[in-house]
Amino acid sequence: MTIAEDLTARYAQELRGFGASLPDDFARGAEGVAGVLHEAQLEQWARAGIDLANHSLRSWEAAAEYFRASPGIARALEFDGLMHWVGLATALSARSSLIAAAFLKATPEALATLSPEQFEAWSQQGDRLCRGNWKSIALAALYFQASPGLFASLSLDSVGRLVDIVDQLTERSYELATTCLESAGPIFARLSPEDREPFLRFARAVTRASWADTRLYFERGPKLLEAIAPAQRPAFLDLAARVTLAVGRQGFPLFADAAAALASVEPADHVDLLAFAARLAPGSPQAAMEYLKSAPFVRTRLTPEQMRRWADAGVEILTTERNAEGAEAFFRLESTRAEEMMRALSARVELTSVNTMLRMYAKALSGEQVSVQSTEMLVDKNIGWMSEASATTEGTAIYLPPFVNTFEEQAANFQVYKVFTTHQAGRLEFGSFRYQWLQPGTQTPGSLLERETKRRAETATVEADGAKKRAEATTSMQRFFNLFADRTLIHGIFTVVEDTRVDAYVAREYGGIRRWLRRLQAYEAEHRPEVRTMGLREGLLENLLRISLGRPDTVRWPHALQAHLGRAIGALRVIEQDGATVQDSAEVSAAIYDIAVSIPNILADVPEGDWVMADEEMLSIAPSMPGGGGEGEPQMMPNGEEVAFENPPQPEFRGDFKPELVQLLMKLKLQQQGAQQDGVTAPLTKEQLMELLENSAEITINEWAEGDLASSLGMFLSNLEKEAGTPAGDPKQKGQQPQQDQPGGGGADEGELPMRIDYFFYDEWDFRAADYRPRWARVGERLSDEGDDDFYEETLRKYHGLVLETRRQFELMRPESFRKIKKLEDGHDIDLDDAIEFHVDKKAGVGPIARIYSRRNKVERDVAVAFLLDMSASTDEEIEKQRQKYDKDDNDDFDGDPRKYFQWLAQRRARQAIEPPKRIIDLEKESTVLVVEALEAIGDAYGIYGFSGYGRENVEYHVIKDLGEPFDDRVQRRIAKIEPIRSTRMGPAIRHTIHKLNEYDAKVKILILVSDGRPQDHGYGRDRTEKEYAVHDTKQALVEAKRDGITPFLITVDKEGHDYLKQMCDDIGYEVVDNIESLPRRLPTLYRHLAAE
Amino acid sequence: MTTTEQASGFKQIQVEDFRITQEPYYLPIHDEVALFEAAYDQKVPVLLKGPTGSGKTRFVEYMSWKLHRHIGNVDEEGVPLITVACHEDLTASDLVGRYLLEGDDTRWIDGPITRAVKVGAICYLDEIVEARKDTTVLIHPLTDYRRLLPVEKRGELLEAAPGFLLVMSYNPGYQSALKDLKHSTRQRFVAIEFNYPPRDMEAEIIHMESGVDRAIAQDLAKLAEKVRNLKEHGLAEGVSTRLLVYAGKLMAKGISPRRACQTGVVWALTDDIEVQRSIEEVVTSIFDE
Repeated sequence: MTIAEDLTARYAQELRGFGASLPDDFARGAEGVAGVLHEAQLEQWARAGIDLANHSLRSWEAAAEYFRASPGIARALEFDGLMHWVGLATALSARSSLIAAAFLKATPEALATLSPEQFEAWSQQGDRLCRGNWKSIALAALYFQASPGLFASLSLDSVGRLVDIVDQLTERSYELATTCLESAGPIFARLSPEDREPFLRFARAVTRASWADTRLYFERGPKLLEAIAPAQRPAFLDLAARVTLAVGRQGFPLFADAAAALASVEPADHVDLLAFAARLAPGSPQAAMEYLKSAPFVRTRLTPEQMRRWADAGVEILTTERNAEGAEAFFRLESTRAEEMMRALSARVELTSVNTMLRMYAKALSGEQVSVQSTEMLVDKNIGWMSEASATTEGTAIYLPPFVNTFEEQAANFQVYKVFTTHQAGRLEFGSFRYQWLQPGTQTPGSLLERETKRRAETATVEADGAKKRAEATTSMQRFFNLFADRTLIHGIFTVVEDTRVDAYVAREYGGIRRWLRRLQAYEAEHRPEVRTMGLREGLLENLLRISLGRPDTVRWPHALQAHLGRAIGALRVIEQDGATVQDSAEVSAAIYDIAVSIPNILADVPEGDWVMADEEMLSIAPSMPGGGGEGEPQMMPNGEEVAFENPPQPEFRGDFKPELVQLLMKLKLQQQGAQQDGVTAPLTKEQLMELLENSAEITINEWAEGDLASSLGMFLSNLEKEAGTPAGDPKQKGQQPQQDQPGGGGADEGELPMRIDYFFYDEWDFRAADYRPRWARVGERLSDEGDDDFYEETLRKYHGLVLETRRQFELMRPESFRKIKKLEDGHDIDLDDAIEFHVDKKAGVGPIARIYSRRNKVERDVAVAFLLDMSASTDEEIEKQRQKYDKDDNDDFDGDPRKYFQWLAQRRARQAIEPPKRIIDLEKESTVLVVEALEAIGDAYGIYGFSGYGRENVEYHVIKDLGEPFDDRVQRRIAKIEPIRSTRMGPAIRHTIHKLNEYDAKVKILILVSDGRPQDHGYGRDRTEKEYAVHDTKQALVEAKRDGITPFLITVDKEGHDYLKQMCDDIGYEVVDNIESLPRRLPTLYRHLAAE
Repeated sequence: MTTTEQASGFKQIQVEDFRITQEPYYLPIHDEVALFEAAYDQKVPVLLKGPTGSGKTRFVEYMSWKLHRHIGNVDEEGVPLITVACHEDLTASDLVGRYLLEGDDTRWIDGPITRAVKVGAICYLDEIVEARKDTTVLIHPLTDYRRLLPVEKRGELLEAAPGFLLVMSYNPGYQSALKDLKHSTRQRFVAIEFNYPPRDMEAEIIHMESGVDRAIAQDLAKLAEKVRNLKEHGLAEGVSTRLLVYAGKLMAKGISPRRACQTGVVWALTDDIEVQRSIEEVVTSIFDE
């Protein structure tokens, strides 16, 4: 019997009664430790285990773990260590045997990273988590279970900090704490060693600021971090921790956003970005994160150097102006200063900023009513144009890409736009779309009729087999393209040839832009695809394109086929001659087509040395049309694999060229106009159109939706027809078109038109940042609905006397300007010239009438006034209620005499029975009626507008009567329809009214705002309770009005208005109408006063 | 003739003595010369319609020089030309004449139209719409078969000398309710329409007038054509031939074409910044640095 067996036998009795496996565990443990411990120690070892097992009901499980783990521990720690260890476990089992068991079980693994001296600290960390309840026990057990894994990546101290976090979380949610603890091991294992501590530090900050975010952080943090340059992660985490300490619950969202933003920036740039953010952090942690968030957007516009200068401007706001909010707005890009700075620094030119000018430029050049629009709009129309990057035209408008960023200077990029526009205007000016079948050219003999006869003869044999009959060509261009078997090829050739012609014209006619045209041509030539990767036929076209870009030096072509290229170049040179027309382009294209089809489209197997570059000979090729039978010469076609033919890509400044579609569009337009005028033009048949579209090489197959070709074509056709129906030029028209797809047409006039809303964007003033928030509020202008007829008349009846009185007062108004009238017998002044003349005449004995006086007489009044009515929900309030609120004193009067009170009460009830209680909005409406009556009497131009809305995206602007609009019964009905809606976002509404007044031509302009209280709206301020922002913005809007020469005036019925109005109005006129019912009386008087000033 | 040569170099001439002695440069665009000659022969008053700077005044000068043979006194060089620039304070006595004080006496002074009637000159009323309505009525009896000018203050009637012809100019571009010609007035004249000449002819005019070479003149004419495309779309009036000639003159003195066009065309045409920029871009497209 071994010592171990002996031991087991002796303790068998005591081990019985516990779990069935305990004796076995003991036996195996004893065997394991027997070799390390001597007998007395063995005894103690066994005793400790038994004591542990006896400690509580389930502590035998801990004992089992003890026995199982002992052999390894004994070998590593020897007896003293072993005893210390079991002591710790016993102490833990006082808390819970479960914890002790977990501790004992985890030890062998933990031993790999922990020293025995650390055991105590370790056990205490677990102990700390235990608060006696079962949840905490489970958590503590989990801790020991997880800790070996944690120790693999964290030091004991670090784990201690993690425990702190977990412990803190337990105060909120054990579930959350458990999840975090469980996931911690794998998370830290995956993090690189340098990141672990910072990760933990940020975790602590997050937990403190917003405990619930800890879970998000543990879930998403590592993934978010992956996008950050590895070396920068600790810095980023520390920054995030610092920010979180300062900003609180916003910390993690900011971190997440910033990380997501950094993910879309080159990792190499992270160093600089983070370094800069760290610079910002002490002044404004928020700004630092906003800076990172904006970085990707800013980087699309600015180079790193430019961005640094841009950001320095933001720092300036922070340090010099000491305006943290301003800096935050700056970096959040909610600041006009930030945008302007960016625009100034950026090399990129936006179409929106040059649009108007280019439009006029194109108009001047082409002499046509062209508009300039973004290519995005054309693509949206889905009428065959697909590319957003290159310029193009469809005959009535020039489409340009939304921005240009080709070169590094802004001026150069603007020139790019100009070259784009010039080329497209050139297509219009030099008649690219005016091809007419069989019109003679100036440089080439006509060959097309002959071709057509030949082609018809060829195809006739095919069609005789019973295939469908070809419809007649719809347009000249189509008839021309019909001559060729390979439509893609002829379209490609015609494009190159015609663009060459247009470029030649532009270069000849516009000497000033020639330099930029050349530069852009060279730029394009240097960015062409490699000829050797193309089929030979495609290569031919590519080379012609390079020639036409003025860069023969970039030509690459097999030596053996030099004659072909030579002939094609000769033909191309013809089109560069002065006076060449689009008819010549067609002839030249046909000639080049013949050359191209004689070359197979193969990937030529030509040795390196046999590719020629353009030589002297090729550069000096004279313009000449290839002779008809030149193909007979001996030729050595290279061998190679045949590939599908594709036209080489178009240079960007030339862009898509679709003459067939343009001619079709023009034809459709003519047809629609014709139909409207006389209705006798023979309409194009659907078959003709379908035929054209099906065959056209200008629409690529992948543009069709998969599947039903016919229905896609039909849809496409209806888009085209719709486009032909819209008047040329004006992009605004687009929004007005009711979205009705009725193939039969004609139905659009019936049924109700959807309400038309025009949107305008206005800046808002952020007084904290002392800057505008660019395009912050969206004002939707719409025509107000119409109410019933009676309201207006009724109001007039009700206020009959008042109406008469106001009219009279208005008619007395002092006129604004005067004109001097001379040669009067009576007047204010003597005109010296006339007086002398009179004197002379008198001496001479003629002209006896003394017409020597002059007088200043009034001319017609020139006043425009806009009334802006508050239609917020609060105007729904009854006036009586308001009065009760304010007029407590009145009520007090009754106290002395109850009879008086009852009398008053009875009166009030009687009143209410006759008419419903009056609301503020009713008074606004009634005042409007009075003012309208008065203004009609003196003939001033006036507009009435109402505003309301909710949030900055939704400012509703109701036009009740526009400034130029005549007053009629519709306006009367619209006044009747004025109703309370929602909030009061005054600033944007004022700005839009300013816009309206600015558009109107008058000497004196007045804006009268009628409101019932302070400005307020959702998001009109930092939070719900803040009122400052709204007041400041409104004030700024009023200041803007003054700046534009408009006299603003505020009328409010809010008795408490004095406090904020004083702030809002400064030197701007305002009036608090005390007795709200006097508003109808007061408004005309005020107006009279204002207009006379 | 009462021409006095003053020491400082300027000339003082009585209005009725002024005549064009050297052939003014004028390039006929259509048949306006033949039309004018016929009207002159038939004593039919002429109204010249056309935008500013399109050559109306130059045409009258040219005709006054060219017509001298018609009145038979070949030794006289040309028909005298009396030009009156009309303005809104122009009164009837400004045109007909008035008494002046001289010591205790008065002296009668003939107005320009009276002088023209007396000597048989071409009387050219420039921008007639600017004149007061009562002034225009004054000329009515002069324009029909009567050819009479009443001089109210002296109680006289003047019958026009044989060579007399009334010519007015008028720019329909300014048309507004206030500044339109009364029908009773306008229907007393035959109207010759002036417009900016076609590109090649305009280039020739610019070349001859300013002395720039033909290529630059051609470019200026091209610019004019482009800018005129903008009329009604940002510009109230197209650029006049006169302005182009000025720009050409600046260039002839060595000012760079872009700069010359900027001062001579762009800034002269409009104050609208946006339109200015657009035209400048057209300029830079046509003229190289």
